[in-house]
Amino acid sequence: MDISRREFTKVGCRIIIGATAGTTIVESLITNGIAADNSPDQSGYDWEKHFWGFVVDTRKCIGCGRCANACKLENKVPFDEEVYRTWIERYRVKKTSLETREEEVVIDSPNGGIDGFVDDIPAEELKKSYHVPKLCNHCDNAPCVQVCPVGATYETKDGVVLVDFQYCIGCRYCIQGCPYGARYFNTEKGTADKCTWCYHRITKGLLPACVQACPTGARKFGDMMDKNSEVNKIIDEERINLLKPDLGTKPKVFYIGLDREVK
Amino acid sequence: MQPHLKRAFTLLALVIIAFILVRSLVVPGSFGQYGWYRGDSVNELRNLTVNYAESTSCGGENCHKIIYDVWVKDRHKTVNCETCHGPAEKHVLNPRETLTPANDTREYCGKCHFKQIARPELFPQIDPDTHGQDLRCVYCHNPHKPWFV
Repeated sequence: MDISRREFTKVGCRIIIGATAGTTIVESLITNGIAADNSPDQSGYDWEKHFWGFVVDTRKCIGCGRCANACKLENKVPFDEEVYRTWIERYRVKKTSLETREEEVVIDSPNGGIDGFVDDIPAEELKKSYHVPKLCNHCDNAPCVQVCPVGATYETKDGVVLVDFQYCIGCRYCIQGCPYGARYFNTEKGTADKCTWCYHRITKGLLPACVQACPTGARKFGDMMDKNSEVNKIIDEERINLLKPDLGTKPKVFYIGLDREVK
Repeated sequence: MQPHLKRAFTLLALVIIAFILVRSLVVPGSFGQYGWYRGDSVNELRNLTVNYAESTSCGGENCHKIIYDVWVKDRHKTVNCETCHGPAEKHVLNPRETLTPANDTREYCGKCHFKQIARPELFPQIDPDTHGQDLRCVYCHNPHKPWFV
């Protein structure tokens, strides 16, 4: 190419100036769309001042299914479909001979536990059995948030993982991405759906529907930023565990009395 | 400047302008307000309707105070009103919207109290085959004050 040094510098400078100006224009346009006020505050609720946490005491769960029932009614989850925002699993560990030491665990969750459980294995054959309520862990490092291609799922400042139903394109990546199986596809909305810890309730000072429906207090919900909250007390004093802690998802649902079979 | 370079730069400028235009039309206004998501959706989710009103809204002076005072002192106090009576927010907002009566069948009480191997041992459970002769539980037990026959 036949080009003088002067010409080259000229063009080069123009390109640099143009590129910088272009990006600044784009950036200013993006930030222009952003409102100046920085809290979605409507009724005195400040999401900077809360960080929610959930405790499940598996030793107290009786498997009545009232939590899963209340959740479906509160959040309009399709009632007759086999999809749940929260559900109860029953774990039954069978007795084994001392020679083989192979453990057989029977895990079931008929209709999410809403209709209750039937004792179909005689007690003599079982070593131990218990119920484990499950729900979205609202991970601080959520895989479902990372895989969403359109930014339709996110973690709020108060620590709740939500789905934007207007923006979700229903690609189901997040359903596959969740290691806890906590997400499902809502056929009525045509989007992915999940537990919100009843975000519409907790921001009004109410408890999540499953927590207030639980007759034994196996589910506890509270603010981890509040020093005196029950959840904080349990986390500080009890022997708690997380589901799949090795994945590094940093779940915010803490379990008491978790057995090794529960994943 | 050489004409072919000029053309290239004009084209680049047009592409940038087109990108900015399309982006401003396609991306929702509140996207990126708090993070990589639509800021408005937080409020949309917060404004969903509440269906469960919680027990504290049942025991008002002019409402169900008597039964509330019985319930709140007895062993079923851990069982909230709406666990058996169903979601009641509509009824709280408009008392004329009455609730369907609570399910008082034997099976419903049994959801918690029928003997099951996976339940905690200390939880009060009965063997439905030997206890109560297929009568409804409420025939003998007051659900608001369960140990009083």
